[in-house]
Amino acid sequence: MISCTEFIPAYSEMFCFLEDEGGPEAVRAFWAYLSDNFLGNLRQLVEEHGLRGCWLYWSHTLNEEAADFSMELDEDAGEFSITMHHCPSKGRLLEYAHLAPYHNYCGHCDLLYRRVLEPLGYAYDIDLSGCHRAQCKLTVRRPSAPDPA
Amino acid sequence: MPVMHRSASDNSYLHKDFNGALSTGIEYLHRTYGAEAVRRYLWQFATHWYAPLTEALRQRGLVALQEHFERIYALEGGRITITRTEDELVLHVEACPAVMHMRQQGYPVTELFCETSRTVNEAICAGTPYAAELLDYDAETGRSTTRFYRRVA
Repeated sequence: MISCTEFIPAYSEMFCFLEDEGGPEAVRAFWAYLSDNFLGNLRQLVEEHGLRGCWLYWSHTLNEEAADFSMELDEDAGEFSITMHHCPSKGRLLEYAHLAPYHNYCGHCDLLYRRVLEPLGYAYDIDLSGCHRAQCKLTVRRPSAPDPA
Repeated sequence: MPVMHRSASDNSYLHKDFNGALSTGIEYLHRTYGAEAVRRYLWQFATHWYAPLTEALRQRGLVALQEHFERIYALEGGRITITRTEDELVLHVEACPAVMHMRQQGYPVTELFCETSRTVNEAICAGTPYAAELLDYDAETGRSTTRFYRRVA
């Protein structure tokens, strides 16, 4: 059995395997499949609860993943955000001395969630510029929400 | 406005839904690239990820495997029985906690999920004096028996 605590290296190695098989496009095709077939609970929560569905979804996953994060939901402003101070997945991959992580590991967080949220009418943004330090910032906005920039 | 701050130390690292993501990934490989690709992927993963365990098996023998299985099944809440002699270790899993979690949560368990035991255990033993053999496997519960034994020289 591969323990769920060993999933992240298994996931990263799957990306490496797929890229060897068919290049980066093969990896993105898998991410699209995973988004369509594994994130039904996020889709359902957002359809049912709106932005609060994001809060409900990530409250569960990030706590079980023992992430170091701050999460905010401002329903009046129509904005949900996660500031990831230390991502447990990327953080682990950076620590492993005997396993090289997939070079675009964090790219899956862009494609998987964008593919669920944008068709539901939300604007999705993720800043991966700090991912080499296991940091990122994810923002989901209702279309009517003013862009703070 | 709801705000949540969490540090890594606030929670234990145990996200069992990852088992469902792994099953989905194996299903995708199977459908897109075939069963042999699933085995090649799992072999590649296991030889990379478990390299320290394989080295421990080479250096310390079957007790290294026993410690590994006791640790991961305790983490996941799985009931196992291990019998070990100098040249043989038999691992009996009463119900695979990964499979049981997926069944409880309604995640599909892919047809080749058994390879996460068979292929992975064979790969862990590669290059050591030992071999692994999956003796039985129940796809519904993941109940299984695996025998690790010293190869005949």
